[in-house]
Amino acid sequence: MSGKLTGRGVSGAGARDGKMPGASRAKEPLKSIVLIGNPNVGKSVVFGLLTGKYVTVSNYPGTTVEVSHGNMSLGGRRYLVVDTPGVNNLLPMSEDERVTRDILLAGRPDLVVQVGDMKNLKRTLCITIQLAEMGLPAVLDLNMEDEAMDSGITVDKEALAGILGITVVGTVAPERRGVKELIAAILKGATAPEVIVDYGGAEEYVGKIASFLPPSHISGRSIALMVLAGDKSLAGWLKANLDDEAIEAIEALRDECALKLGAPMGLYINEARLKKAAQIAAGVFQKVPRRENRLVSILGKATIHPLWGFPFLLLVLFGLYEFVGVFGAGTLVDFFEHFIFGRYLNPMFTKVFGLVPVPFLRDLFVGRYGVITMALTYSIAIVLPITTTFFIAFSILEDSGYLPRLAIMTNRFFNMMGLSGKAVLPMVLGLGCGTMAVMTTRILEGKRDRLIAIFLLALAIPCSAQLGVILGMLSALSMKALAIWLLCVISILLVSGWLAARILPGERSEFFMEIPPLRKPALRNVALKTMNRAVWYLKEAVPLFILGTLVLFVLDKLDMLRLMERAASPVVVGVLGLPPKTADAFIIGFLRRDYGAAGLFEMSRQGLLTHLQSLVSIVTITLFIPCLASFFIIVKEKGFKVALAMLAIITPAAVVVGGIMNWVLRYFNVSV
Amino acid sequence: MHEDLYKTRAAPETEKRQFEDEALETLWEILERSGQASSGGQAPLERLTSELKDEPAILGMQKDGLLTIKDGKVAFTEPGRLRARDITRRHRLAERLFADILALPEYEVDACRFEHAISTEVEEAICTFLGHPPTCPHNRPIPRGKCCKLYTSKVTPLVASLADSHVGEEFKVVFLRTPMIDRLAGIGLVPGAVIKLIQKRPSYVVKVDETTIAVEEEVAKGIFVKKA
Repeated sequence: MSGKLTGRGVSGAGARDGKMPGASRAKEPLKSIVLIGNPNVGKSVVFGLLTGKYVTVSNYPGTTVEVSHGNMSLGGRRYLVVDTPGVNNLLPMSEDERVTRDILLAGRPDLVVQVGDMKNLKRTLCITIQLAEMGLPAVLDLNMEDEAMDSGITVDKEALAGILGITVVGTVAPERRGVKELIAAILKGATAPEVIVDYGGAEEYVGKIASFLPPSHISGRSIALMVLAGDKSLAGWLKANLDDEAIEAIEALRDECALKLGAPMGLYINEARLKKAAQIAAGVFQKVPRRENRLVSILGKATIHPLWGFPFLLLVLFGLYEFVGVFGAGTLVDFFEHFIFGRYLNPMFTKVFGLVPVPFLRDLFVGRYGVITMALTYSIAIVLPITTTFFIAFSILEDSGYLPRLAIMTNRFFNMMGLSGKAVLPMVLGLGCGTMAVMTTRILEGKRDRLIAIFLLALAIPCSAQLGVILGMLSALSMKALAIWLLCVISILLVSGWLAARILPGERSEFFMEIPPLRKPALRNVALKTMNRAVWYLKEAVPLFILGTLVLFVLDKLDMLRLMERAASPVVVGVLGLPPKTADAFIIGFLRRDYGAAGLFEMSRQGLLTHLQSLVSIVTITLFIPCLASFFIIVKEKGFKVALAMLAIITPAAVVVGGIMNWVLRYFNVSV
Repeated sequence: MHEDLYKTRAAPETEKRQFEDEALETLWEILERSGQASSGGQAPLERLTSELKDEPAILGMQKDGLLTIKDGKVAFTEPGRLRARDITRRHRLAERLFADILALPEYEVDACRFEHAISTEVEEAICTFLGHPPTCPHNRPIPRGKCCKLYTSKVTPLVASLADSHVGEEFKVVFLRTPMIDRLAGIGLVPGAVIKLIQKRPSYVVKVDETTIAVEEEVAKGIFVKKA
């Protein structure tokens, strides 16, 4: 990690603070509250409760990769609440963890609410210790009290509060239990926890290094410990705040200390903290072993079983196919498209606009490329029901905790593509939405892993809208077609991942992942999440659908469309063996892949495509360039050059693969 | 071999030998800290004399062909280097044995005495028994022996990597040797922690307290445990 990049990251966090919503409007400065905690302990749920703002909540570590801000009004005061990605250590090891540390370092939180898993008190306390070292005022929220009780765990909160010198509350956030007490604790204000860890032989060096450090919002002792532990991401901050001489002196001290103690300092410091945490926990933590819930323990085993895990995965996929492909893309789309739009809305609007004397305007809304007859019909009647059913199924999977278990099953598979099993998370999330998934790659350690994952996402992972449409088209063909499509996409993933892994320098990071417990998805969260995603879809996709339609409309009116279709025909007709009109679908596919897919869906339903042509077009559009939104997010995460390079590889690759498919299917006379 | 041992039992001989061992070991450590133990570097003579406080005896070692001293710098001869390597290995193996298995609080002192007394056979047996540990309790590398390369064992190692352990059992972590060390420590998997191995395939699944993690075989190979 280069110092320059890091420096920007740290100051970036500060700059973002300056732009915090409402900061300039409020008369007195907003007090800021930062939520900190281990991964997957429910920070986002607590955030939602405090601010009334929904941020995605799921049952796996790494759901929150970006910082969210929200406002809270309490007792006449307004607070700014910040939700952060989970960390196990304030010594960052991946990009999402760095974000959190930087907020504590460069942002100036007035209060830290540490959310912890009551079951995992030791790990929770490791962070409390670090907050104590930083000297940040904190309140400790031990969440998931219900799960702790189910597994026979009790924590003496009062005794713990006595030891730590801060307020400790127990909550069950999804049920709002204990939230009143939490808010009361926040209102009361807080001081820094009082825990002191003795680092033995390192103490001397901690003191010496701290004496070189500039005054900061957090204590010099804590920064000195970060330096000693070998935190390279601090380099930028040090460079910005100290002269070269001081940095050299600090580095010399760090090396001397490591030499003297003869141990990796990161581990040395960590062990000292864990020891202290265990010592505190021993006095307040009690566990009476209880028998596990039968169903949960059977499912827990089956989902990761070396043998049964795979049939289980197939079962899940089959369920997804039935629900999204058959029910969503079949039954629901039929209902919306043929019944609501076909029988009522479109005829009605056609009649209404029929009264408009200007043919141009009439065509604009209800013509062949009309905003209502095409853009709204596609987006609302075809894609919305599909994405909504997908989001429902997906939310259930997310909240159950099944997705990270997939990583266990698929690690070897991902190894072949130069990735670790952890990459399964962004990949599967990519089936929901590519933009979201590209951001989630931040949970991967190592830049190389991230780059490969983003490339594969852009190339071969269809997003929910596209996937739904594709499943809908395939369900109208045959199981054989589905199998061919699946096989083709998976081999493309494998081959391109394999190639990328060999071309890019460096090595993949080793597989390490926390597996959350299986949980029963809460109906409320599934509904809320689906709603949020559907609304987000409408906001994001519909305008682009309308824009795409307008482009087609204008091209059509200028008679350019025919020319473009003809210009594209050597590729579309010659290579891919598709009717010239499919060029339309690929043109709008540049805006959104799912819109292109919807165009193909429509053509296939109208019988304009043979089965073979359907299959070829589906494969091509699956691989086709990423949608505009995910292109922009790739630019944001990896820079314009990388994004453009990906585009330059992906588009021709899609056509080539489609062409090969067309040729092979025809040559061997395969009927699908 | 046994004859050798009998010969060195004579009291003044033993004393001399022990001093030589100490000196060689000290020089090995000094060179190791400056990162040149394996390459055969040199160190200022005064560092050695200040630690051992017996300059004539050190100079005597030059005569015995164990060290070379030139311009105030001291270096190993090849036989000296090999012996230093051996003694360091024995010392650190002894530390491991005393610290991890016997849980003796004063393991360092005992290791100093023990290192002079054991034969190659005993040393290899201990190494195998401990599962060929890569580092001493201070995390300094243990020079590899013949047995580590062969990796064939008649003795069942008491300390084994997680990859060689049985599914479903509970273990106590003895030491870690993986680049993942900080990540593992972050979730509480450090030496001394009690863990349970849930499964090995398709990936390793390990439970630490209330946390479940998945790792691949490469990482599991670097987690050394003994039965809890």
